[in-house]
Amino acid sequence: MSDPIRPTFSSGVYYKDPRAALKWLEQAFGFETVMVVENPDGTIGHSEMRFGDGLIMIGREWDAKHQSPASIGGINTQALHVQVPAGIDACFERAKAAGASVLREPADQFYGDRTFMVADPEGHVWSFGQVLKVMSHAEMEAAEPGVTIKDRL
Amino acid sequence: MAEQGAGAFTPQLFYRDPLAALRWLEAAFGFETSLVVTDPSGAVGHAAMTFEGGEIHIGGEFAAPDLIGPAAMKSPASLGGAGSQFVRVSLAQGLDAHCERARAAGARITQDPKDQFYGSRVYRALDLEGHVWTFEQPIAEVPLEDMARASGLSIRTKL
Repeated sequence: MSDPIRPTFSSGVYYKDPRAALKWLEQAFGFETVMVVENPDGTIGHSEMRFGDGLIMIGREWDAKHQSPASIGGINTQALHVQVPAGIDACFERAKAAGASVLREPADQFYGDRTFMVADPEGHVWSFGQVLKVMSHAEMEAAEPGVTIKDRL
Repeated sequence: MAEQGAGAFTPQLFYRDPLAALRWLEAAFGFETSLVVTDPSGAVGHAAMTFEGGEIHIGGEFAAPDLIGPAAMKSPASLGGAGSQFVRVSLAQGLDAHCERARAAGARITQDPKDQFYGSRVYRALDLEGHVWTFEQPIAEVPLEDMARASGLSIRTKL
């Protein structure tokens, strides 16, 4: 495709109403729609959004195995974490104002990030994080007694 | 805990057995475990894997009303194979060999490698717990108007 740079990993997220999802994700999170592929009947077959140097795809439910959380009791089998370079509290306020349901308010974590977690209108869970302090694994373990952190299996 | 340069989005995948998933994803897809956080009971609470400059997170099934309200994270293996997202992996080269490695490690290949109208060669696979993976390798630069002509679809660059 014509993307200048494609990340190694890009998630595809299923919605009952992908068009409403694109609008909401633009408004609530500031993601930018860069591609919309429509079927002859006007439904969205595939679409792509960018945020920073990241890329996600927004699609519709297309069989029993590909379902919005709204269709499977609010369950997520995968979720997206969004890393922002700055302004995480402003991100949270913007998302909340757009109607995101708040699962966890912004809070500093033992591993040096500030994070929050929200759900979108169809129940997909999104976590956001901003690095406040770069920490070594030893520093993280000291900050959270009982936790062991390794860099390999 | 995403490393700088890994991209703004990090996919997080939930498994009934995250430790088995880490081993399987290393063997089948060639991902490398880069972080394993173990709680006092010895269970994997959080893990990260890297592959060709990208990063994903692996975790266990999780529900905690006091922490995350009504949301719940489960494996497709607990939902009869249903999933709420999939992951696309872009390879620079070696797509067919990657597919054979995955197949040999037990991946269920749901679509063998095939050239697509949008300029990528693609295969699709299910992992050990039923998460859907799409692997692609760019093979040609196709202008949007050519993609639209080849597919009969309308393609735009904004909503």
